[in-house]
Amino acid sequence: MLHKLQSKIVILLVLVYFIFLNDFTYCQSTNSNNLFSPENRLRFGNSLYIENDYLRAANEFKEYLKINFNDTVQFKFANCFFKIGRFQEAADNLKSLFFSSSLSEEAKLLYYESIFFHKDIKSFRELFSQKKYYPLKYDFVIERMNSILLLYDDSTLPAPNLLFKSFPDTVQSQLNNFYLRKKFPQNKSAVTAALLSTIVPGAGKIYTGEIGDGITAFFTTLLSAYLAYDNFKSDHQFKGWLFTGLAAFFYGGSIYGSAASAQIYNAALRFNLDKEIKLFFEQRNYFLPEIDY
Amino acid sequence: MPKLLRNRAKLNMKIKISLIDALLAVFILIALFNSLHAQTDWVKWEAKEINYEFQKTAGHEYKIDSSSFGMTILSLARNAYYFFISDLDGDNCPFSPSCSQFFLNAVKETSIFKGTLMFADRFTRDLNLFKGLNHYPINRANKYYDPEENYTLHSNKIKL
Repeated sequence: MLHKLQSKIVILLVLVYFIFLNDFTYCQSTNSNNLFSPENRLRFGNSLYIENDYLRAANEFKEYLKINFNDTVQFKFANCFFKIGRFQEAADNLKSLFFSSSLSEEAKLLYYESIFFHKDIKSFRELFSQKKYYPLKYDFVIERMNSILLLYDDSTLPAPNLLFKSFPDTVQSQLNNFYLRKKFPQNKSAVTAALLSTIVPGAGKIYTGEIGDGITAFFTTLLSAYLAYDNFKSDHQFKGWLFTGLAAFFYGGSIYGSAASAQIYNAALRFNLDKEIKLFFEQRNYFLPEIDY
Repeated sequence: MPKLLRNRAKLNMKIKISLIDALLAVFILIALFNSLHAQTDWVKWEAKEINYEFQKTAGHEYKIDSSSFGMTILSLARNAYYFFISDLDGDNCPFSPSCSQFFLNAVKETSIFKGTLMFADRFTRDLNLFKGLNHYPINRANKYYDPEENYTLHSNKIKL
């Protein structure tokens, strides 16, 4: 009986231990320092920042900055927004670092980068032309960004030696290639395409590279015209006019379609070039310097 | 030891054991209480009713466009085409929007003359046996995406 009593006491003690174990651990957390002190928030924010958890890190930095101002933390706070693509908020939070801060040049560079990635071309050009908040230490980077925006945009391009002077020599030939294709695109004329199809149905489509469509247009028009001619010849007036209408339908469609096809060709040419340029710069991180923020 | 004392010791021992038994039962109940929470998840795993009826995957809407007299006539003609030909033949047009819808959209977007020319061009392109080699992007319905906006001769409207 005593043995039975002992075993039951042991089981009871084990159960008591497990049930209250959690409570004790919770209790311990309340006995330690204040988790929400500015120092702990900063520590936690830095840890989240290193883990690339920028949204939560920004929240911790924000709470810290409410009590203490520190330019490094302010910079990191702005960079958090930059990293998660909230460029406007990044730019707004960088302004306080432009003057009397050891990070002012880096802050100005990140400010320009924020506007660049926000695709606010108008603001970027205004800042660039007025040299406002201009980071002299990184002027070549700003010039590169301006050149990239000019290449993206359909505005008038300056001479290539001026446009690409800030880029490394290794990519000059590729940039010149882009420049030439952008400045002098190998477009197809819609008028020429329409005229060619007027002379030979479908020829305009072949001119724009749609060979299958061109041959189809040629044969449908030719076949309809032949059937119209044959029916008129056989004195089948109704069928003759029916096929005449059909031939006119295909002929008109071929002329119109050739002009439309030339426009689509030009649009595709522009679209593919823009995509190629974007990919080129994206793969090289827009030639931005690697600064350990 | 006298018999009376032995009996009292036995009684005390029994009382202790029953007390420990009661405590043990209480703690087991507390321990089980935590694990019982898991059972609240049963809603997640309940059986779902499945409908085995065939769902309609494709079909035409017999709408009448009353924006203008011409469009009403054209939409009536299109509905007649849907009813007598297209719905019997099946969803065979490889383009999206289909040729009949393209014609109606083209007329609505431009004019009856320009819309007819656009349709003539589309019809010719549809007759091309090798249209798969062309530039058309393929949409989710596995059809060549070819919107009428691309053929209005306004280059800013072209969608690629």
